[in-house]
Amino acid sequence: MNSKRNRFSFWNQQQKIAPYLFIAPFYILFIVFMGYPLISSLVMSFYEMRGFQSRIFVGISNFIDLFRDPIFWKSLWNTTYFALGTLILQLPIALLLAILLNSKFVKGKNFLRLAFFAPVLVAGVFVAIIFNLIFDQRAGLINNEFILFGKEIGWLSEGKYVMPAVILTGVWQWAGFNMIYFLAGLQGIRQELYEAAAVDGANWWQSFVHITLPSLRPVIAFVVVVSMIGSFQLFDLPYILTNGGEPADAGSTIVMYLYKNGFQFMRLGYAATIGWVLFIIIAIISIVQLKLLGIFREE
Amino acid sequence: MRIPYDVESFPLGKGPMVMLVLFLISCFFIFAPAEEKGESIEFWIFANTHYEEYQARVPIFEAQHPEVNVQLINYGGTMHDKLLTALLSDFGAPDVVEVEITSIGRFLKGAIDEVGFVDLRPRLKNEGWMDKLVVSRFTPWSYRGKIFGIPHDLHPVVLLYRDDLFKAAGVEMTEIETWDDFIAAGKKVSRDLDGDGEIDQYAIVLDNKTESDYFNLLLQRSGGFFDVDGNVVIDSDVAIETLEFFTSLFNEHEIATPVYGTWHGDPSNFAAMQDGKILSVLAPDWYVGILKSQVPQMAGKWKAIGMPAWEVGGRRTTTRGGTMIGITKQCKNPDLAWELLKFAYFDKAGLINRYETTRIIPPLKDAWDAPIYKEPDAYLGGQPLGDLFIELAPDLPPRYQNPYWSEAADLLNDAIFNAVTEKQTPRQALTELAEKVRSIIAKDQERWGEGVIDEFKTE
Repeated sequence: MNSKRNRFSFWNQQQKIAPYLFIAPFYILFIVFMGYPLISSLVMSFYEMRGFQSRIFVGISNFIDLFRDPIFWKSLWNTTYFALGTLILQLPIALLLAILLNSKFVKGKNFLRLAFFAPVLVAGVFVAIIFNLIFDQRAGLINNEFILFGKEIGWLSEGKYVMPAVILTGVWQWAGFNMIYFLAGLQGIRQELYEAAAVDGANWWQSFVHITLPSLRPVIAFVVVVSMIGSFQLFDLPYILTNGGEPADAGSTIVMYLYKNGFQFMRLGYAATIGWVLFIIIAIISIVQLKLLGIFREE
Repeated sequence: MRIPYDVESFPLGKGPMVMLVLFLISCFFIFAPAEEKGESIEFWIFANTHYEEYQARVPIFEAQHPEVNVQLINYGGTMHDKLLTALLSDFGAPDVVEVEITSIGRFLKGAIDEVGFVDLRPRLKNEGWMDKLVVSRFTPWSYRGKIFGIPHDLHPVVLLYRDDLFKAAGVEMTEIETWDDFIAAGKKVSRDLDGDGEIDQYAIVLDNKTESDYFNLLLQRSGGFFDVDGNVVIDSDVAIETLEFFTSLFNEHEIATPVYGTWHGDPSNFAAMQDGKILSVLAPDWYVGILKSQVPQMAGKWKAIGMPAWEVGGRRTTTRGGTMIGITKQCKNPDLAWELLKFAYFDKAGLINRYETTRIIPPLKDAWDAPIYKEPDAYLGGQPLGDLFIELAPDLPPRYQNPYWSEAADLLNDAIFNAVTEKQTPRQALTELAEKVRSIIAKDQERWGEGVIDEFKTE
């Protein structure tokens, strides 16, 4: 009698608890591996390490130092430069490739798709090592095969050419990957729209502007936002390609500077500050982009 | 046996019940401590060549100490970051670890008692090892009177040169004594090969983007970034003069070319050496090892002399790179770990094996008698390279370690590049640099002197 009632109440209880148990693994993992580190890094940004076993409260002075730190600004500019390069160079190339590989007259599409996609399968470190050889001023492939602008360019040895070299490497590695998204978007556009436009006498360019681009808007928004976030988190490629940002921080990025401060200089508080500032920058840029691209618009 | 539970009443039925039981059983096996045979020593390594050496040598140590089980782990380049995290979190650090010379500084930050390595000075002193090693090699691993590691190496630097090409230009390199002699010789060999009006054969290759070669020269003159007491001395006269000299090799004398690629070990650099565009390089012992393995086809073309001196009779070498072995404070059996340290760094058979594969000369003076160091080296056209290194070893300059080395080196790289590319004068570049590093240190000291200190450690 007694045990029966206990069992009954257990049954009752578990009906209520079960749903929470089912979703618990995600939340436990999220709290342990995301929530806790996020909060403690925010706390850390108001402290600075004092050796290995103690830290000292410094208020907002990490943030003040950061805004006065020329290397931070240089890294922020380099990162923005890369992000703009991605936006202006890489994504249009990806779209162009997608349109070409979606058109009827290109042969061997599957092979070409694989070929353009393949670079993303190569780890960033190896890409950087390969492009180090390609960009070398005197022995590199680019300067030896194409003398551009009438002289050898110091891709990795002259400050102003370092980020362009990183951007070009980024194009090689990521354009094919973004092409896949665009390709999927293009294949989702109904063929009837083009046929109707053709009947109305629209030329190729008009169809592209009035059918292809508007139909691709959600895909473009996704690719732009994800690429911007990825661009602002740039680290391994320039770290290897420029040997940690050389020469004179010309190849330094925000995450690289964060890494250096955290792991090489043992300034965990300052590194946490850089991380949070980066988070705020990415959040603002993403929200602005989503607004501009009309993702929040109700249709 | 009766299960004291009604299986049918398990809320989700038999299947999930079985899964749950299997899950719990496997949890037990995962979390139950593995049964270990006697003592275990975890040993972290970052260099592949060292890992290969110890893989062969550890079984010998385990045979000598049957109760010990050594776990070798090679984390490669990320090892220092992992070690930092383990020491910060007070959990998961190895017992024994090798640390690289440019990475040790960050581990020395904060109070000296909080450094994560065991002070080895008492053990080294009691067992008489201090006098048996080259004493200047303890400086990279010492701070505020404590010694946190045993030096792996000496890493003396020599001038490695293309004997064939210097001879062809009528220069006998063995007669070179000072840097002035070298500049005169360099001007004879630095020339335009293809007639396009630009020099493409240079007497020497130097790194203008990082501190490496400038620091070679600075240490040779007993300079440094920090002095023995931790003061910033990079704006001293000797440091400025040395940077002026360094930039003049590129700009005024035009006998030096910037390193191809990112550093001396890049393949593009080796290609330039084979093409005869680079005729010499400041080479530590390990760099000769790299050349031998990466460009074996250049055997017989190289020869080596001591570095040109700053004045007649001056120091003919410097030191570049280095590794230490140390015991972390998380080690439970430091006595046993100490035995492993001595086996890895002081065992003569092991040291000979090391020279065979990597050309690295040990800091243990007793070991230098071994005939292998006097053997002619085919890569250098029969010159006994080990003999040259050992001749230079007692004169190695000290390299003082400092917790701020990483920040300092990062900024020094910029200063050197700015000076060589004539964006700043050497004096401007180094004065500014010294100010920056001094203010970083002053700021920390100011902070640490006052304010709320939050102790992580609760014990």
